[in-house]
Amino acid sequence: MAESQYSFSLTTFSPSGKLVQIEYALNAVAAGATSLGISATDGVVIATEKKLPSALVDETTVQKIMTITPSIGVVYSGMGPDFRVLVRRARKTAQTYYQTYKEHIPVAQLVRETAAVMQEFTQTGGVRPFGVSLMMAGYDDNGPQLYQIDPSGSYFAWKASAIGKNMTNAKAFLEKRYSDEVGIEDAVHTALLTLKEGFEGQLSGSNIEVGVVGPNRSFKVLTEAEVNDYLQEVE
Amino acid sequence: MDFFVGIKGKDFVMVCSDTSASHSIINIKQDEDKIVPIDDHKVFCIAGEAGDRVNFSEYIIANVKLYALRNDTELNTKSVANYTRGELATALRSSPYHCNLMLAGYDKETGPALYWLDYLATLNKVNTGGTGYGSYFTLSLFDKMWHPELTVDEAVAMIDAGIAEVKKRLVVAPPHYMIKVIDKDGVRVLKTV
Repeated sequence: MAESQYSFSLTTFSPSGKLVQIEYALNAVAAGATSLGISATDGVVIATEKKLPSALVDETTVQKIMTITPSIGVVYSGMGPDFRVLVRRARKTAQTYYQTYKEHIPVAQLVRETAAVMQEFTQTGGVRPFGVSLMMAGYDDNGPQLYQIDPSGSYFAWKASAIGKNMTNAKAFLEKRYSDEVGIEDAVHTALLTLKEGFEGQLSGSNIEVGVVGPNRSFKVLTEAEVNDYLQEVE
Repeated sequence: MDFFVGIKGKDFVMVCSDTSASHSIINIKQDEDKIVPIDDHKVFCIAGEAGDRVNFSEYIIANVKLYALRNDTELNTKSVANYTRGELATALRSSPYHCNLMLAGYDKETGPALYWLDYLATLNKVNTGGTGYGSYFTLSLFDKMWHPELTVDEAVAMIDAGIAEVKKRLVVAPPHYMIKVIDKDGVRVLKTV
């Protein structure tokens, strides 16, 4: 169809007004492992499936949830190497801000700057869009916040959301279970239950990753043992 | 020579500057307001090279305003102080700004703050400060009179004493001064001497 004739160049619009490369980038995201985030009254939790290509992979060296600043963490669905590049840039942005103002960058501003980078790669010659959607979670003076950033560079603040393979079912599940009064502990339980919905096999601390930030403003990736504890509470 | 002093009180900051604008031996005007507002709750007192003072203060003020517009939130005093220091530091080894300055501000969350910066990009948070010849005569006086629960009236008394000392001992003492105070209600002129 006529669409595919315009799918070669990122910077060319198709007749229906789409940038087809961005659509394809979103396909790459939808093929990636499920990730989700839930914003609670006193914190945010993000979690992802850690689907490894083989049992021989040393899973202790694989880290999908990354800390950008002590108060902000991020997880992705899509292409891992693209994620690493964005994490590098975001960390630098955050440190530059700190060096200028000697204060930590607010979450919304970091999201905006990172989204601007992703947008750049949809309007520059010779590059392709990033094949990841990001879930950024942080706690600053405006409280706990959760943002999704897409390959197009558009970003949304969410109370709860999911990206990746099972996102429609996961979002439906979250919609039913989410309430404005939920606290962090409940949010972690809900996150685990949501991951369980679409998971093939048995959830354990070694095949999922969970990151939490609370009123102490310290983003932490939970250890395998901590995740297993939460899983026991949920069973 | 410009005279600036600043005093941090219990819930306010007070700054005083002389109000003469001069070029070499001529007084151009005697009622110049040299305490420049950055926003509703912060001011700069900048002394030094004539062109650099205005150029530098306008540059910082514009960037502070840009931040506020972009991010729908104002910078606090500490951030502005560190940002200003950073700009002085960056320019230092190419084309330095020859200014000594003080930044006085009031933040809702953390209260009053007074910062002292010099042309070498030094930054210090202080309770009392001053630039120029005036500071040489007033700082030890302020050390004696300052305490953490300082009220507005006590601070005015300190500044009056400082001005009297300067007029007594400095050969080229400026004749007129302006005192401003910054608190939760913003910046206002307290009195002119």
